[in-house]
Amino acid sequence: MSASLLQLTDVTIRFGGLTAVSSVTADVREGELAGLIGPNGAGKTTLFNLITGVYQPTEGRIEFAGASTAGAKPFHLTERGIARTFQNIRLFPSLSVSDNVRVAFHRHLEHRTWQSWLRGGRFHAEEAELRERTRELLSLFNLERVQEAPAKSLSYGDQRRLEIVRALATGPRLLLLDEPAAGMNPSEKDELMRLIRFVRDRFRLAVLLVEHDMKVVMGICERIHVLEYGRKIAEGSPEEIRVDPKVIAAYLGD
Amino acid sequence: MTEFLQQLLNGVLLGAIYALIALGYTMVYGVLRFINFAHSDVFMLGAFVAWYSVEKLGLPTQSIGGGLAALLLSMSVCAVLGVVIEKLAYKPLRQRSTLTVLITAIGVSLLIQNVAQNSRLGFGPNPKAFPALFPSQQLHFGALTVSTHQLVVLGVALSLLGVLYWIVHHTRIGTAMRAVSFNATAASLVGINNDRIISFTFGLGSALAGAGGVLYAMNYPSIDPLMGTLPGLKAFVAAVLGGIGNLPGAALGGLLIGLVETFVSGTRLSTFRDAIAFGILIAILLFRPAGLLGKLKVEKV
Amino acid sequence: MVFPVAQRWLLAALILAWVASAVSSSIDPYFLDVVMGVGVSVVLASSLNLINGFTGQFSLGHAGFMAVGAYTSAMLTTVVAPRLGWHPVLLQWVFFPLSLIAAGLLAAVAGLAVGAPSLRLKGDYLAIVTLGFGEIIRVVLQNMDMVGGARGLTGVPAYSNLFWTFGTAALTVYTVWALLNSTHGRGFLAVADDEVAAEAMGLDTTRYKITAFGIGAFFAGVAGGLYAHLKGYLNPGGFSFDKSIEIVVMVILGGMGRHAGVVFAAILLTLLPEGLRELGSRSVPNPFGGAAWSLDWIKEMRMILYSLMLIVLMLMRPQGLFHRSERRRRGA
Ligand SMILES: Nc1ncnc2c1ncn2[C@@H]1O[C@H](COP(=O)(O)OP(=O)(O)OP(=O)(O)O)[C@@H](O)[C@H]1O
Ligand SMILES: [Mg+2]
Repeated sequence: MSASLLQLTDVTIRFGGLTAVSSVTADVREGELAGLIGPNGAGKTTLFNLITGVYQPTEGRIEFAGASTAGAKPFHLTERGIARTFQNIRLFPSLSVSDNVRVAFHRHLEHRTWQSWLRGGRFHAEEAELRERTRELLSLFNLERVQEAPAKSLSYGDQRRLEIVRALATGPRLLLLDEPAAGMNPSEKDELMRLIRFVRDRFRLAVLLVEHDMKVVMGICERIHVLEYGRKIAEGSPEEIRVDPKVIAAYLGD
Repeated sequence: MTEFLQQLLNGVLLGAIYALIALGYTMVYGVLRFINFAHSDVFMLGAFVAWYSVEKLGLPTQSIGGGLAALLLSMSVCAVLGVVIEKLAYKPLRQRSTLTVLITAIGVSLLIQNVAQNSRLGFGPNPKAFPALFPSQQLHFGALTVSTHQLVVLGVALSLLGVLYWIVHHTRIGTAMRAVSFNATAASLVGINNDRIISFTFGLGSALAGAGGVLYAMNYPSIDPLMGTLPGLKAFVAAVLGGIGNLPGAALGGLLIGLVETFVSGTRLSTFRDAIAFGILIAILLFRPAGLLGKLKVEKV
Repeated sequence: MVFPVAQRWLLAALILAWVASAVSSSIDPYFLDVVMGVGVSVVLASSLNLINGFTGQFSLGHAGFMAVGAYTSAMLTTVVAPRLGWHPVLLQWVFFPLSLIAAGLLAAVAGLAVGAPSLRLKGDYLAIVTLGFGEIIRVVLQNMDMVGGARGLTGVPAYSNLFWTFGTAALTVYTVWALLNSTHGRGFLAVADDEVAAEAMGLDTTRYKITAFGIGAFFAGVAGGLYAHLKGYLNPGGFSFDKSIEIVVMVILGGMGRHAGVVFAAILLTLLPEGLRELGSRSVPNPFGGAAWSLDWIKEMRMILYSLMLIVLMLMRPQGLFHRSERRRRGA
């Protein structure tokens, strides 16, 4: 059994009177493919926002790779190895597909911003190398054919996949996917499942997946956490979750 | 002490005028979510309509009837103007970005100023002496001196605030206005005609600005086509200070700005008085961006 | 090593400016003034383009930064320079550029001071705060006796020439271009597109915005210095909110975040009023005989036309006049 990469301990956040996430304790292990499910409004996206530093917890601790994430801004956490996609796609719509990825690569550059002013040999060498890596990454996802098109012109499915590529470009150890299959047809969903497994193996990272489509979640997750009204009501393997009476009750709504 | 009371009175009067203008900014922001830059020029035009009604239409000066007639005329003309500006310049931009609308508003503001400054089409660039609309007399209460004009300003401003409160809270259209500013999409779903409410809001806000212009001019010797800019900006600050979109907030903000400005004018820093409002604005946006009475909205991710 | 193409263009522009300034004594002085004014406008518009166009912020305070620079360099050349006892040639070719750099740096400090606290604000709020900062700068200048207060500052030496104005213009355009055409620089565009996503991709959005404000204000300050030594006198009223709007309009007309479009708009909007003024001082022969018709009204109508143009532009082409063409090239 591998160590926890992400550890949440009694995490709570309140918005005014609403407790969106309530005393949640959960973890994601190194290299694991974990799921996070729950009915609408259960607090899944809010939990992602807490993990990525968009919100700070009202109570509780979040540790990533053994260090607390308290007070860290989203970009700090990205540098430390957490990347995400958004439920309501947030690409850089006016940038080209390759620029969307290129921007996410920026933290691997050796040269500083001002060196792009001088445009010396090092600058050009690094930029050329980066172009190559961008192209490679895009081609893994079959997106290099549209690399010069503005991101907003892509089909819905392509946009979802581009978000994953962009997140991968930051070089994460933990990838958070917020409903990646939303709006996809069954064959696209099958393709996505294959892709998520491939990404986990190829880039050796842990994935935490929020998804409403049970076929997808049950099909690829090794362990699943279940939220309802901000509380964690269950945790276990897909087989265990499928038969858990509390989970069934939460989904049937009684 | 007398000095203090005198300043307090002056501050309240100036504040009441800022409040009238601020209400217009805040109402428009409530329904359309943008800063109507041209509002300060409607304020200027309000003063000019009153001037015009005396100088060209021959309304009597120094009379209560004449003064009220000039005031009502100003408010009506400004209301119509506000509605027309909205229809021509802002309505076609309903779905566009805030900045596009903001720039358009700046354009409208420049257009009004430049037309007004033009001697053929407008009033010409030179300041005009503003007539005494109401009977003017100095009243003495102990050591305190109050002019009848100041009383008129106070009376008119308070009555207008009262009328506005009544409209917003006790009429159908006022309720619809509040609904639109709470949630425009939901309002249109329950059958409210948003465009009509927006027109009404512009008319109402512009009428208040027009009244503000007349009252402002009464306490200054002259008026000119650029007179709206600074009071307009300060009134905007007042609206932000109170919490933009919030009506009592705008009134409170106006009062505060008027008081601060008047008291600063009495000190050695008087030459900096025009910068004070902006200082307050910056401080407010940094420390309490929702304003004194407003509620902050957090962006959902 | 091969000299990169972009730097070759910059070098060519600098040499051209040098040659032009060498033969400038034979150019009509009024015309020369106008042409140098164009250079200053290009600097102002391109630098604001970095803030408003590429980074998606909205500053209405560019005239304020320009004022800081104008007064800084003018004070240096009118108060400090005479005490040095330098040769006039040295003053114009060594001291003056140093004063421009000082002007830029001080304006950049002002830009950072404005940028840092404003960054939490967006859209129209940011616009109003920067407008407020600009006005505060103007009021402070009006109250500083040291710089002439409301009367203004006179006797600023005429050090600006074609080389300095066009050299700076070329340098500004190059800088903004070079910055944007790099992976780091793409971050400015990403911040403009979606801040939350940019932050999630590891971009320090605050730093990007502050950098944009700093660099933008730096060049606005340098432009101010050039302007001071072009006009020969300074007056706080010249740096009001109207001036900021003028620069904003150049950026919008040029199509927010288009390099060439904005340069072109700056040139157009600087020449247009001059052209109209020139036209207004003429008269056309009366086809019915009798006294010639004066075109004087054009002078009066200039500003009205300008504001009408702005409104119509926003209604018809809010993306600017020169939007499509450049985009197509970038996408190719
Ligand atoms: N910034 C915020 N301010 C106030 N309430 C919020 C905020 N963010 C989320 N909430 C509330 O927290 C609750 C949980 O929302 P969240 O988006 O996390 O649910 P979810 O599990 O992702 O649902 P879905 O499956 O619909 O995406 C909701 O009631 C939501 O309205
Ligand atoms: Mg969600």
